[in-house]
Amino acid sequence: MALRFEDDFLKKLEYLHVISRRAFAGQNRADRLARKRGRGLEFADHRQYAPGDDFRQIDWKAYKRLGRLLLRLFDEEQDLPIYLFIDASRSMALPEKFDQARRVAAALCYIGLAHLDRVTILPFADELGDEKVPGRGKGRIFRVFEMLEALEPGGPTSLRGTFTEFGSRGRQQGLAVVISDFLDPEGFERGLKLLASMGHDIFVCHIASKMDRHPGALGDVRFVDSETGELRDVDVTPALANAYTRAWEEHAEELQAFCGRFNLGFVRADAEAPFEDIILKTFRKGRFLA
Amino acid sequence: MSFGAMAAWQAFLLMAVAVAAAVYLFRLRVRPPKIAVPSLLLWRKVLDQKRDLSWWERVRRAVSLVATALVALALALAVTRPGPRVTAASRGRLLIVLDSSWSMRAKTTGSETRWRRAVAEAKALAQSAAGDEVAVATTADGLVEGPTSDTALIETALDRLRPAGGEGTAWPRVGNADQVHFFTDGAIARPNEPGVVVHSVYEPVPNVGITAFGVRPPTSATDKAHVYLEVVNYASEAQDVRVSLTRGQASLLDQTIKVGAGETIRQSAPIEPQAGGGALRAKVSARGNALDVDDESVAWMASAEPLNVTVVSDQPGAVALLLQRDPGVKMTMVAPSAYRPGNERVVVFDRWVPAEPPATPALVIAPPASSWIGRPGDEERTPRWSERGDHPVLAGVDPLTLDIKRARGYADGGLLTIAASEKGTPVVAVHDSPTRRSVVLTFAVADSNFAFAPAFPVLIGNAVEWLARPALAESRRPGPMSLPLSTTKVIAPDGDEVPLIRTEDRAVARLDTPGLYHVQAAGSDAVVPVNVGGPELSNLTRTTLSDALAKAGGGERAAGRPWWMYGIFVAFVLAAAEWWTWQRRITV
Repeated sequence: MALRFEDDFLKKLEYLHVISRRAFAGQNRADRLARKRGRGLEFADHRQYAPGDDFRQIDWKAYKRLGRLLLRLFDEEQDLPIYLFIDASRSMALPEKFDQARRVAAALCYIGLAHLDRVTILPFADELGDEKVPGRGKGRIFRVFEMLEALEPGGPTSLRGTFTEFGSRGRQQGLAVVISDFLDPEGFERGLKLLASMGHDIFVCHIASKMDRHPGALGDVRFVDSETGELRDVDVTPALANAYTRAWEEHAEELQAFCGRFNLGFVRADAEAPFEDIILKTFRKGRFLA
Repeated sequence: MSFGAMAAWQAFLLMAVAVAAAVYLFRLRVRPPKIAVPSLLLWRKVLDQKRDLSWWERVRRAVSLVATALVALALALAVTRPGPRVTAASRGRLLIVLDSSWSMRAKTTGSETRWRRAVAEAKALAQSAAGDEVAVATTADGLVEGPTSDTALIETALDRLRPAGGEGTAWPRVGNADQVHFFTDGAIARPNEPGVVVHSVYEPVPNVGITAFGVRPPTSATDKAHVYLEVVNYASEAQDVRVSLTRGQASLLDQTIKVGAGETIRQSAPIEPQAGGGALRAKVSARGNALDVDDESVAWMASAEPLNVTVVSDQPGAVALLLQRDPGVKMTMVAPSAYRPGNERVVVFDRWVPAEPPATPALVIAPPASSWIGRPGDEERTPRWSERGDHPVLAGVDPLTLDIKRARGYADGGLLTIAASEKGTPVVAVHDSPTRRSVVLTFAVADSNFAFAPAFPVLIGNAVEWLARPALAESRRPGPMSLPLSTTKVIAPDGDEVPLIRTEDRAVARLDTPGLYHVQAAGSDAVVPVNVGGPELSNLTRTTLSDALAKAGGGERAAGRPWWMYGIFVAFVLAAAEWWTWQRRITV
């Protein structure tokens, strides 16, 4: 699939900001308010001069008035580390699901790049794949497209394994966006808890398709698990099909409830829904973009 | 219930095997189609949950199995061609008589024939009488099998039988028969035999048939022959009937005529007596036409081939003159000294005979003594012809106007006297054997007023006709035909030789199928057309059975179709319901 956005859509994306509910220390100057005081443009506070401080920051007017050496402090505006986790397991192999996931990731990348944030694309399945850092600036979006287009789904899903490996690499805290169908045989809870324990602000994007919600067939069928290859002969009756649909709804509700309980952002993106609506409406409604 | 296609045990075996096969196939697990799903995570969760099945869900598979078995059973039942059971009222020796008249070949609405239905019911009856002695007879052939308690023999005999006419034959009988069952459509009226149980296979069906077809020879040399055709539409509605008439390979008529319900069309057309062959064939075809044997009819025009007659005489007289004027005869005059056997069909020896008997039939007039004619007897003066037999040569001959001056008989020549004087002197004698045919007039034409008597042309014409043609070319119905003793061979329309049964004074051949038969007899031959059609046969909407019997026979069919159709219908409905509710998972 060729990932390309229309110019009009890109313009709309430029007006959007990724909302982080917490301020994180960045590495470079950008337009996002950082937690520490620094060399920004907006005055923040004064503090007593200490030997070794930069003379240029002394507020001489205050010294004349108060007779004390005070240093002017400014809010530091830095970049935000954004970690985009894209589920590239076999369960995402349905074209509509994986394409939607890549489009969402590309759009979020572009928003981050447009605001000079540090975006890292992290494909994963049962473990973390090769991370991809496109650089800074919105001009890098085409590299992002190439990176995402090169992704191929494969392997089973393991959120816990993925985030354990992610934590072991010693990352700067930031915004972690997890784009997945969350069909993890071990459950999604432990993985997301692990990620949350690393101090990241987490945003969950649940990709769901019609094939996930409905069995897709009635009668005697042999289901093949696309991740593990496991076979299961099932006589799908209408009652069983309804039970399956209910089970999926419970699974989706559990994910949403978990996110609410642990203060994780949550958005559900249907694979069949128009992509622009997801970005411009659903994500804004989920208070992830503003 | 009885089974028309097979014996009862075979039918039940077939049904059992069909049901067993259906159950086996139902229980056979076929590999289901593979469907790739993103994950079995949720399916495992659903399937691991213990779910209470409803009563219907628990029995649904069993219901499906029963439906499958019923589908197989219904299909197998349809194959067996079931029908209402015909049972013998009581035990004892049973005679089954099938009406083998041609109308039994009529197709019924169930795409079978009256005959097949009669055979099926007869088989069922024979099976119901298993253990007792059963005999099978037809109205045409009489007793054909039994009495025997071997049901297989009876069934084989029934399968072998075909309708073959037999309208005028005697009622078949078997000794000590306790029950007699007669399967008939009632097309041909038969006297009521006491104690006979009549089973009707009558069902009114539309038919178009040729009810009359013949050819009239020319009456004079300048006259033309006339062909006559009669076609009747025995249907409740008008229909287009295609009528074709051929003479040899030439088409005389081919047109489609609208014939109203019950209407008769009659066509008569002059034809050249000697242009083309003697075989005439008429055919009809129409949409509502249940019987095939009356759709074609044949006729033979003997005058199409003039008879070559050679008159051997020193003094040709009235006989030669008479034959010369006969349009059906091509006469050649030969003096006795110049006579050599040729291709003539009849030779006339007038007061002279060769030393050896001729190979061709001969009319011998006042012959001299010879080894093959016999030793001359005493001459009788003015014999009075008093005895007139019923020989074809004498048909229409009036002896009272004859005045014969002298006649003499011949001994030791193997002659059979067919007309004699009061004193017993033969006047007309014949020799009829497979080696020789001859007619001998024991008086000379010149020794009588014969040439001027009305009997003269009749007797000479009869003699030539009898000598040249051992059988009349008149259309006749299928059945036994009496032929002269001299008959050597009868060839059927299909080319097979018909067996001859010889009695003391005649030969009998069974001309069973319609068509042209060739009869050969001691140097002579004739063609006999045999046709089936007639008003009593072609009218398949009437029966001589009582109303109650006729309705009983047609009632089953009037009420619906043969039972096998219901079997197919039930199977289809069950299969459709099963597919719709089970395969589409609507009921579970």
